Amino acid sequence: MDTHEHHQLFNVGGAKVSRFEDIRLITGAGKYASDWNQPNQLHACFLRADRAHARIVSLNLDAAKRAKSVVSIYTGEDAQAAGYLRAPSFLPATGKGGKKPNVPQRPCLAIGKVCFVGDPVAMVVAESHLAAQDACELIEVVYEDLPAVVDPEEALKPGAPQLHDDVPGNCPMEAESGNEAATMQAIANAAHVVKLTVDCTRVTASPMEPRAALIEYKSETDSYVVHTPSQGVNMTRKQFGIYTQLPEEKFRVEIQDIGGGFGQRSTVYPEYVSMMIAAKALNRPIKWVSTRTESFLTDTHGRGNLITCTLALDNDARFTALRVDWITDQGAYLSPTGPAGHIRNATSCLNGVYKIPALYADFKVVLTNTGWVAAYRGAGRPDIAYAIERVVDAAAMELKMDPADLRRRNYVPLTEYPYKSATGNTIEIADLPGLSAKALNLADWSGFAVRKAASAKKGKLRGIGMSTVIEPTGAGQYPRDEIDISVDGASGDIIVHTVSQSQGQGHVTSFAMVVGNALGIPAERVKIIQGDPERAPKMVGNHSGGSRTMVGAGTVCHIAANKLIDAGKSLAAEDLGVEPSQVNYCKGEFSSPHSKKKITLAQLASSKKLAVTGEGTFTSTYPNGCHIAEVEVDPDTGVTDIVSYMSVDDCGHVVSHTIVEGQMHGAVLQGYGQVFGEHIVYDKDSGQMITGSFMDYVMPRAGQLPDIHMEEYTIYSKLGPLGIKGMGESGCTASLPALVAAVTNAIGVKHLDMPLTPSKVWKTLQANKA
Amino acid sequence: MANVNLKINGKAHSFDVEDRTLLVNLIRDHAQLTGTHVGCDTSQCGACTIHMNGVAVKSCTVLAGQADGADITTIEGLAKNGKLHPVQQAFTECHALQCGFCTPGMIMAVAGFLKDNPKPTDDEIYHGLEGNLCRCTGYINIVKAVKQASKAMSK
Repeated sequence: MDTHEHHQLFNVGGAKVSRFEDIRLITGAGKYASDWNQPNQLHACFLRADRAHARIVSLNLDAAKRAKSVVSIYTGEDAQAAGYLRAPSFLPATGKGGKKPNVPQRPCLAIGKVCFVGDPVAMVVAESHLAAQDACELIEVVYEDLPAVVDPEEALKPGAPQLHDDVPGNCPMEAESGNEAATMQAIANAAHVVKLTVDCTRVTASPMEPRAALIEYKSETDSYVVHTPSQGVNMTRKQFGIYTQLPEEKFRVEIQDIGGGFGQRSTVYPEYVSMMIAAKALNRPIKWVSTRTESFLTDTHGRGNLITCTLALDNDARFTALRVDWITDQGAYLSPTGPAGHIRNATSCLNGVYKIPALYADFKVVLTNTGWVAAYRGAGRPDIAYAIERVVDAAAMELKMDPADLRRRNYVPLTEYPYKSATGNTIEIADLPGLSAKALNLADWSGFAVRKAASAKKGKLRGIGMSTVIEPTGAGQYPRDEIDISVDGASGDIIVHTVSQSQGQGHVTSFAMVVGNALGIPAERVKIIQGDPERAPKMVGNHSGGSRTMVGAGTVCHIAANKLIDAGKSLAAEDLGVEPSQVNYCKGEFSSPHSKKKITLAQLASSKKLAVTGEGTFTSTYPNGCHIAEVEVDPDTGVTDIVSYMSVDDCGHVVSHTIVEGQMHGAVLQGYGQVFGEHIVYDKDSGQMITGSFMDYVMPRAGQLPDIHMEEYTIYSKLGPLGIKGMGESGCTASLPALVAAVTNAIGVKHLDMPLTPSKVWKTLQANKA
Repeated sequence: MANVNLKINGKAHSFDVEDRTLLVNLIRDHAQLTGTHVGCDTSQCGACTIHMNGVAVKSCTVLAGQADGADITTIEGLAKNGKLHPVQQAFTECHALQCGFCTPGMIMAVAGFLKDNPKPTDDEIYHGLEGNLCRCTGYINIVKAVKQASKAMSK
């Protein structure tokens, strides 16, 4: 069903809106991190390393301390004294061969050395932001430069510059999954072996809201109030606790609106804990707002994976084995979500959507003198899908087969689900033969030759590319997701509390729709409260990341609403003078065939407390899809135009078609951005970032992908009562391989690494002519 | 220090600010209207777009002193008498915002652009949005909203 037909509008105070969040956001009443202020607050500014790798010989703070309005300056000595030395990193307990990982220190302010351009060296606290900024420039640092390494393959070589004494070889851990011996044997016996290395390039999330924080110290309780962008208050509190070794109870997180996340908000950053030191020492609130330049340098980056696939095929072009050798560049330190996400998510879908009897992956986690890397919209899911889909296309080219035929020959058939892959992962259900047939039909795949010829007449090179992908969504780090739901006695509104946190996904609307639907009342009457600072610490639940929120907390909204009805029946029974089993509930009203009385939810709640907690635990669900892109390349300029983009996706039950469509638009364009321009580049010699502003980092703009023809191919998940599969990231996962396939098809090459800039495409065409 | 007298959303203000203060900081920090956002340091993102004397400008690229005597409209002043501006209405109806951070600047830019070009073609809309970055929506619904607002305003 085309989602355009389902656009639902709500009525809020007479205004028609798509989402309940919208009114405040379109009238300037949103409250983002930098909008929080406290009387008496001070302002922080960070002096950052201007070089990639160096020893700090000396720091002279004298002039800066004397500068006007400066209150205090903090350095690595203060980090050492506070003991804020280790950023949280959620790594597997052991790696290959049972070895424990070596996690480097990440002091909140550099101690003795700096490891990437942007590493915070000192924090100036002053009465105004400008005064703090001015004083930063008065700090004199004497560095002794060390050789730097920004390329992960170089960093692994013997003799490479070493970043951390406690991480030999710049390799914190190596991990593996699958069966190496079986895989190597299948490769040795294969009729065809296709090998391809792809660079799933380093990019940056670039949510439009730069990072910011306001940190208050409460001397009476020796605790902290934190305002900062977060993907979930409890995860943020947990990470603050790990970084500072203080109990989580010492952190109260107050947030309202988050200006985009994409994984970048899943880290508690060193700046925030540095500010805690000042807030406590000075007993005044400390505010810091990142510049965009600092964002480029110090926000967690995404992807940065060099992936080699070795695919074995038999004489019938059936896949017999896949070996994946994966080098994941994590930058100078390990972030909370970087290595674990990439290893886990890639392992979950190491077979892609294909039946492959033997699988093996080796993951090398590598440190380089660059910014750190974390989850970014998909966190390993787009990377593995990209690598597999590219090697499948390479195989089709080598075997002179239609890529659609080669895929069709190898899909796991519907009848074999739940499918246990050779890494031991069980995938619930997917129907790629059916789903991809629908997509190929919609895209008129078989009629492409005619369109290619028409483009050729105009002097354009037309290409078509497809991807068929799947990914794990829904599982979380907490044992369950809880939702508190109650009926407000005064207004009769339904009040719902969650610890998940929208960064733009519209949970205030989609959760209200779930609850409204379960209770048979308008969604307008349901108020969703995210991360209430009083209640959240008492609730269990996951942050919003990994496309898990509708699968987890969203589904629990349904469970909680039904529990509320049951609780209401017991209470209503007294008023109706019947047994609870004799009470019926319909559209906000309790009644009984044995009573003439009726009582509404609101009436019941006006005299009795009507409140319950719903909970649920969910394993991964597996959204899947087929995207088909068609492009025209201008051979004279190398410029690529998207002629059409088609997506058919199975994300299970859809709560809000409007929101799902919006997520898909945004995710596909983020994929487009990575394919055609976005790229974080460091100079190999100096370790300086070359792409440190929106002047150099090519963000996608309006009109580059004019439209997406979206259709659904729904198979409900049976893992939850609503049948939802997560879908916030699948657009990224599917668009990378589809778009690169279309361009390489147009210009007749097996593979070309992203970004496919006009100059790279043009140069490739010239080289092919020669 | 500079003394800046200006009107913001119809209200007269007088502020003493450091000479180097940008208009966006005057609006956010001195007038305490935080609906206008800062998303970059290079005048690229457009989150700070406001109307100065009826023209859409990026307020990070104007010194506060240059706005002395100016008539400023920010996102907070766009709705009149409790009624949303057609561009605001179109943005919510078309689901043209997700996180909402770029939205005030986007709406102010579009409101300014439609004044100059009430019935833009697709290419003119793309060109008109070039100075405003959005990371969430993929722009598809923003372009729809521009068209819907254009229609609503020509009625």
